[in-house]
Amino acid sequence: MLNIPGHPVHTCEGPTRRELMRIGSIGLMGISLPHFFLWRDQSKAAVADGKYAGARGFESAKSVVMVFLQGGPSHIDIWDPKPDAPQNIRGIFKPIPTKIKGTYISEHMPMMAQHLDKATLIRSMSYTPNGLFNHTAAIYQMLTGYPPDKVSPSGQLEPPSPADFPTAGSQVSKIKPPKDPVLPFVELPRPLQESGIIGKGGSAGFLGKAYDPYRMYQDPAKPIKLEDLSLRKEIPPQRLKDRFELLKGINGSMPDLEKALGEYAVDEYYGKAYDLVLSGKTRAAMDLERETPKMRERYGNHTFGQSLLMARRLIEAGTKFVQVNWPSVANGDPETTAWDTHAANFAPLKNLHCPKLDRGLSALLDDMDQRGLLKETLVVAVGEFGRSPRLGVSTSGNSNSPDGRDHWPYCYSAVIAGAGIARGMQYGESDATASSPKEKPVHPNDLLATVYYALGIDPDMEIRNHLNQPRELVKGKPLADLWV
Amino acid sequence: MLRKLILTSSLAAAVLGAEVRVTFLRDVAPIMNKVGCMSGTCHGSAKGKNGFKLSLRGYDAQFDYESLLYDLSGRRFNRADPGKSLMLAKPSQEVAHGGGLRFEKSSDYYKTIYNWIAQGVPFGDPEKDSVAELRVEPKEIFLAKPGEAVTPKVVAQFRDGLTRDVTREASIESNTPDVARVGTTAEVKGERVGEATLLVRYQGKFATVPVTIVNPKPGFAWKQLPQYNYIDQKLDAKLERLKIQPSPLIDDATFLRRVSLDLTGLIPTPDAVQAFLADPAPSHVKRSKMIDKLIANPAFVDHWTLKWGDLLQSSRKYLGEKGVYAFHDWIRDSIATNKPYDRMVHELLTSRGSSYDEPAANFFRVTRDAKPTMEKTTQVFLGVRMVCAQCHDHPFERWTQNQYYQMAAFFSAVGLRPGYEVGEEIVFDQRSDYGMKHPKDGRLVKPAFLIASNGKIPVPDDQSRRDALADWLTSKDNPFFAKAIANRVWSYFFGRGIIEPVDDIRASNPPSNPALLEALTQDVLDHNFDLQHLMRTIVNSRAYQTSIVANDWNASDRDNFSHAFPRRLSAEELMDAVAAAAGARPDLPAVPEDIGAEQVVDPHIGKEGFLDVFGRPSRESSCECERRSDFSLPQALNLVNGRTISDAVADPKGRIAKLVLSGRGDAAIVEDMYLASLSRTPTAQESEHAVSYLSGGAKAARAQDLLWALLNSKAFLYIY
Repeated sequence: MLNIPGHPVHTCEGPTRRELMRIGSIGLMGISLPHFFLWRDQSKAAVADGKYAGARGFESAKSVVMVFLQGGPSHIDIWDPKPDAPQNIRGIFKPIPTKIKGTYISEHMPMMAQHLDKATLIRSMSYTPNGLFNHTAAIYQMLTGYPPDKVSPSGQLEPPSPADFPTAGSQVSKIKPPKDPVLPFVELPRPLQESGIIGKGGSAGFLGKAYDPYRMYQDPAKPIKLEDLSLRKEIPPQRLKDRFELLKGINGSMPDLEKALGEYAVDEYYGKAYDLVLSGKTRAAMDLERETPKMRERYGNHTFGQSLLMARRLIEAGTKFVQVNWPSVANGDPETTAWDTHAANFAPLKNLHCPKLDRGLSALLDDMDQRGLLKETLVVAVGEFGRSPRLGVSTSGNSNSPDGRDHWPYCYSAVIAGAGIARGMQYGESDATASSPKEKPVHPNDLLATVYYALGIDPDMEIRNHLNQPRELVKGKPLADLWV
Repeated sequence: MLRKLILTSSLAAAVLGAEVRVTFLRDVAPIMNKVGCMSGTCHGSAKGKNGFKLSLRGYDAQFDYESLLYDLSGRRFNRADPGKSLMLAKPSQEVAHGGGLRFEKSSDYYKTIYNWIAQGVPFGDPEKDSVAELRVEPKEIFLAKPGEAVTPKVVAQFRDGLTRDVTREASIESNTPDVARVGTTAEVKGERVGEATLLVRYQGKFATVPVTIVNPKPGFAWKQLPQYNYIDQKLDAKLERLKIQPSPLIDDATFLRRVSLDLTGLIPTPDAVQAFLADPAPSHVKRSKMIDKLIANPAFVDHWTLKWGDLLQSSRKYLGEKGVYAFHDWIRDSIATNKPYDRMVHELLTSRGSSYDEPAANFFRVTRDAKPTMEKTTQVFLGVRMVCAQCHDHPFERWTQNQYYQMAAFFSAVGLRPGYEVGEEIVFDQRSDYGMKHPKDGRLVKPAFLIASNGKIPVPDDQSRRDALADWLTSKDNPFFAKAIANRVWSYFFGRGIIEPVDDIRASNPPSNPALLEALTQDVLDHNFDLQHLMRTIVNSRAYQTSIVANDWNASDRDNFSHAFPRRLSAEELMDAVAAAAGARPDLPAVPEDIGAEQVVDPHIGKEGFLDVFGRPSRESSCECERRSDFSLPQALNLVNGRTISDAVADPKGRIAKLVLSGRGDAAIVEDMYLASLSRTPTAQESEHAVSYLSGGAKAARAQDLLWALLNSKAFLYIY
């Protein structure tokens, strides 16, 4: 670290204060300035000249909604039915036709069946884990692109650490930050979690806490409070303005310090905070009361549905990366909507999980499409793995009920849409028992590479970890075939 | 036709090959390294690339040779027709290569590898064909002005005595490219006034070359500032040579604020500021007295207990609640009694027994296993990062993988078992099966010091082996121990070490001022590791008391301490400063009322709150880098609109409430607020401005606004 403590890491790369003066006159704390200088887009410099010239889909997305179905949804019971497989594999659900010709999904996903014409269904997600078989290891792999390397003596994964590889949203908010005064990366409604391990694979790791997601820790289906984003009751806008004027005067009377701190971009952060609080754009985006009851109903009156609706509003407001986590703890009780259906599979999927996922995800795709948002927003819905094709067997060491399914990372499904990705396509195919891909296997790293690629970020870009060692952003190949 | 071609080409190769002897060691490996085959993002990465793995930066030539030869059942070579070998077809893009084109078919590199294959891919003789020494001419580069350039010459001397110009194949990197840039042809160009270090690497050997770009501006005349001790002499000697004029001293009020925060983590009280300013003694005399007073202050003990708590990862996550208090108290006691640093470390390393009765033993409960304990020990106490060497030889140092395990072996006998009380653990020496195994072949590795000791400390092979390590590590002969602590302590007062990062001491990361570091190290040794003495010496120097105001001659200097840099208050300092200035309680949940953030025992307290937003380390590692001191959007949001400052200024029992009720005049109220927050009196203009604001509306609200603005001002957020 060659930086002086107190010296923000990224401003060394950005324009100097003098250059800033040329960009525009400094108003109140520099608030009238465009903010791009503070959050410098690093993606351009990282792409070798012409590397992606004319490449399909490169830089087609402005923002991302990552719908992360933590817990591991059963692909065979939802996205990839196998009616011809033996009873102990195919389960009890019936397949129904979808808008993709020849592609059937579960009878409990009727709305998605009607809206798959807006998306590509990937049926060949697959990878072989590096030893660990639990949720957190898989989540870490899915969202950071690297296998976790630290396991505590008890066999549990370590909680998030400053040495962790950064989660995708943090990478994006550093490499390709938004231009508007909005939160770059928001995680709804709560962090990723397995047992007591919270947020592993979902933190900024060695990028530093400045790039952590904004976490609301509240249920969007209920009235929410937003303290640090809302002006305090006793501070009306005029009073905040007065305070900033005073502050400007105090700072201005110490020009030597102003000069010595010129590169630290303190004013710019203050300007951005001021904008965020005063403009209320993000706060307004989080206010679901502004939606009609009909719209809220359409997404579903539950935490997951309302989180998706909030995600759409945040994207509209300019947020770069919104991650909606399935609201239940990854290894929670399936009877209370965790996807981890070891102990019970069919009844909870039919009555609890599928209806919520079906309604929420189809509403998101349809609503974003109608608003034109889907043109420049990439939507991905995926879990950390699928579930064992055979019922009642143990693949991870967990015990399973006779109709339960265990963890299965070797083959599962994902829905990907928007940003020009093929509408109404099936990509890849699984074998007769949905146990492994028959063609076009997609490693989680390829999916992650596709997300970066769609945003105009070179997946091969070199980044430096906390020990200043060079690492690839992700070791994967973008699926350019998704754009046809 | 085809057959004929093949015949001719292999014949040609045979003829060519007969002339020059080509070996893997001497000729081929350097090319592969140069074109990037072994880089960390290509085949040198831990898992290789596309099924082909080489050692990182080619540290293990034998391994690389065998990978080439035996993987893919030898398909990489076609000795009859070398041009058909994958080893040539891939990098020259004759067939698809994920890594793209590395060299053209017409290049010398291609020819060399071609001949090597034609000669039957000889490995070479390590006794002859490996590099014995790397020489760079010139040894030190002085450029008279930015824009000038020079191309150093890199010569490798092989074991058989032959030398070769390897300028083209050597890797030459600048640690500060915006000062000295290395072009593709090894040309070193001065970009701006300043200093940089070139790291020259070739086949596992490296050399460093300091580069100085002198300020070409005419008219430099050295103005000698007062020198308070040897620190100033050593710094001035270098500054004058580089034509850097140091900045003058700060005034008394600025000094008091800076030194109070740096020694005790607290801002001075309004009374302390006024008393100090009123003291008629000569400035240097009263500053020295103040330094002694601050070192004797209980807050000094809290502040350095916090620092050592970070480095030793004192956290209930590892130690449990009772354990963390026991360890905290042990650290606190060591600081309070000014226990010599060598003794403190010796006690940690040789601790045995119950984690409750012998709290130092908690040292082993954090890392638990021999390898992480060794990594922590070397990084914290020696400033040496061994972590790279666990998997491969250190790329920028002489440390080998073998040395990693030899050092780790010192801790392999440390055992942990549950004690009698809840949460208690006993640290003991195992009596059997405690050998350290080498990961390559599972052989038992005997403990050995990183550097042989002058004092001939015997290394026993039994379970008491770590006692020998403690003796060696803390001995005055150890070339790292005193230097590492001198450098680390220095960094706490200047924001950066003389070697930076402070816990990455290696030959390829040289000190900015070797004479200064040498003198500080000697001082530590002469005073038997008395860290209070070291701190006292540092803060008494003129260098420490230098202003942030730069002049034409030192504005671009970042490494030589010719002027100060503002440093953001740490998370704990900031929280306590807000509370002190506002006369409120620190915004901390679940601690007794009189506990400040500086006294908090571990990161469990106030988790996810203000302290974490402002970069408090989570004590997950002993790296100094865990504490973040950058500025971020969540921080700005918190300061502007969060509850810590907003609640403090509006506290009904706080400073504002009392001031407004006191009936004092507005000017007096303003002065008190400035003294309490910025630790100085307001200027006439500031006072006038503030008084006019106060009188413009409801006084209590307006006074809150003023304090809010003072607490958000840069002069409050930064040590300057």
